[in-house]
Amino acid sequence: MTNEVSYLEVSMKIIRYKRVAPHLKVENFGPIKGADVTFGDLTVCVGPQATGKSILLQLLKLLVDTPHIKREFGRAGVDWQGQFLAFLDVYFGEGMRSLWKPETRIQLNAAAIDLPQRVEQSRSNRQEAMFFIPAQRVLALRDGWPSAFNFYDASVPYTVREFSEQLRLLMSDFGAEGTLFPVPRRLKEEFRELLQEHIFPGFELKIDTQRAQKRLVLTSKEKEGGSLPVAVWSAGQREFVPLLLGLYWLMVPAGAPRRRGVDWVVVEELEMGLHPRAISVVMLILFELMARGYRVCISTHSPQVLDAIWALQRLKEHGASPPDLLRVFDVPQTPPLLQLAQEVMKRQAKVYYFDRSSGTTRDISSLNSSAEEAGESGWGGLTEFSGRASTAVARAVANSRGKAQP
Amino acid sequence: MTAEQAVDATPHLKGKWEEGLQALRGGDKPHIRAADTRAITGSVDVDSALARLPEHAQANRWDFAIGYQHEDRDAECLYWVELHTANDSQVDVVLAKLRWLLRWLQGDGKALDAFERDFVWVSSGATNYTLNGPQRRAFADFALRQTGGILRIPLRRQ
Repeated sequence: MTNEVSYLEVSMKIIRYKRVAPHLKVENFGPIKGADVTFGDLTVCVGPQATGKSILLQLLKLLVDTPHIKREFGRAGVDWQGQFLAFLDVYFGEGMRSLWKPETRIQLNAAAIDLPQRVEQSRSNRQEAMFFIPAQRVLALRDGWPSAFNFYDASVPYTVREFSEQLRLLMSDFGAEGTLFPVPRRLKEEFRELLQEHIFPGFELKIDTQRAQKRLVLTSKEKEGGSLPVAVWSAGQREFVPLLLGLYWLMVPAGAPRRRGVDWVVVEELEMGLHPRAISVVMLILFELMARGYRVCISTHSPQVLDAIWALQRLKEHGASPPDLLRVFDVPQTPPLLQLAQEVMKRQAKVYYFDRSSGTTRDISSLNSSAEEAGESGWGGLTEFSGRASTAVARAVANSRGKAQP
Repeated sequence: MTAEQAVDATPHLKGKWEEGLQALRGGDKPHIRAADTRAITGSVDVDSALARLPEHAQANRWDFAIGYQHEDRDAECLYWVELHTANDSQVDVVLAKLRWLLRWLQGDGKALDAFERDFVWVSSGATNYTLNGPQRRAFADFALRQTGGILRIPLRRQ
């Protein structure tokens, strides 16, 4: 085992057991010219498309779980024949070897990581430490039932294949005609009620068998409603169900706060297809993951997610109480939710902006709208449209000399 | 008519037009970012100039105006700027100031009323509004822009 590899293992153990804030620096990797990210209990990545948010999170997964990833590929018969660039193609997806450049540099907690060497030499039985819910999660239920890792060809990123495989394994926890939602021992009662109201109004999520093939369906709770297969679900339901199943995987029903060995959770673009009220519920559930001790990383294009983080930061600064945080989400102030809010207000949230023009990341965690730098004051571009809309209207009113009076 | 000429034609403001941002208090200047400082045609401290007049002394007066020559405009534009704490308790105060300003522009300030303009609330401290929030849109309906802590004036107004 080389110094680099052993140092990485030690770093990951320190991060895990002492909860040292992991600090990742990446230079010249794909669109990333310089990323410098210190992860909080919750880390939010924002920025335009193709600025490297997902690549950075996938790279982190690779660093955290190299032995597990190699094992999974091995089981699936994926062989990159010792060629590091070929490995990048199977891990990040076809054609992604171009991410790597001679001048690529990676540091984790100040230690240089030789990624090709790590991929080649890393061997251990350490189980997976990061659960990754990819943006393409809808692919996992494309045919109404999660597909096995091997079902996908090597062009599909590892994180998608693995997520699908994990959902497939999760399905064995439920019976042949089982109900997946609502289920009493999965998720807090408050979350179940909110999800029922905002995502599955009048429906249950069940396993159905059609011509000897299991599939997921939504069934009406009223009268003799038929079973609705994935193809006719709303876009939001199609996006949310894989996320829900991922959350089930993380929130084990046996009373343990976390799934054994798993420290990290990545959720890409949690808002996909969801109404703002549903986004609020998902944010609360992510807070629950954070309160359970998972280190949560998300990427988002939703201004609402940053609104929630902004409110959390300001409420903490001003010594606000848990009920104040729950008011942000318009949820009942039940003891479990108050306890959750109290826990979350002790945790640290970080926000990073991926700037396309410079190819760098910026720490905009303060979400300071008075900041000198436009990227920070504009929350990484997420308030630009709202700002332009307000300015255009204000300007039109100001110069119309019309009747509008404050 | 230039903004300077309009100021000189306005009762109680004659001679109050100053170069660049010199009409602003020192602590206020960092809140203004012009893409081209040479395009700032001047500024006037309306608040101080009218404070001693009995009819305005007790009023919620607006702070100041900044003239700017945009590349895509023939005439100067005026940025009417109020530097004020941005939180819920101050909304009524700032809207009262805007009401005062609009009334004044209809009367003594009518020479300045003719200029293309923005009415801008710049936060003097932390901004306790979410920038996506409904408050910002409600202000817009009253002609008011809330910019956070910095007013950025671009080269082209567009």
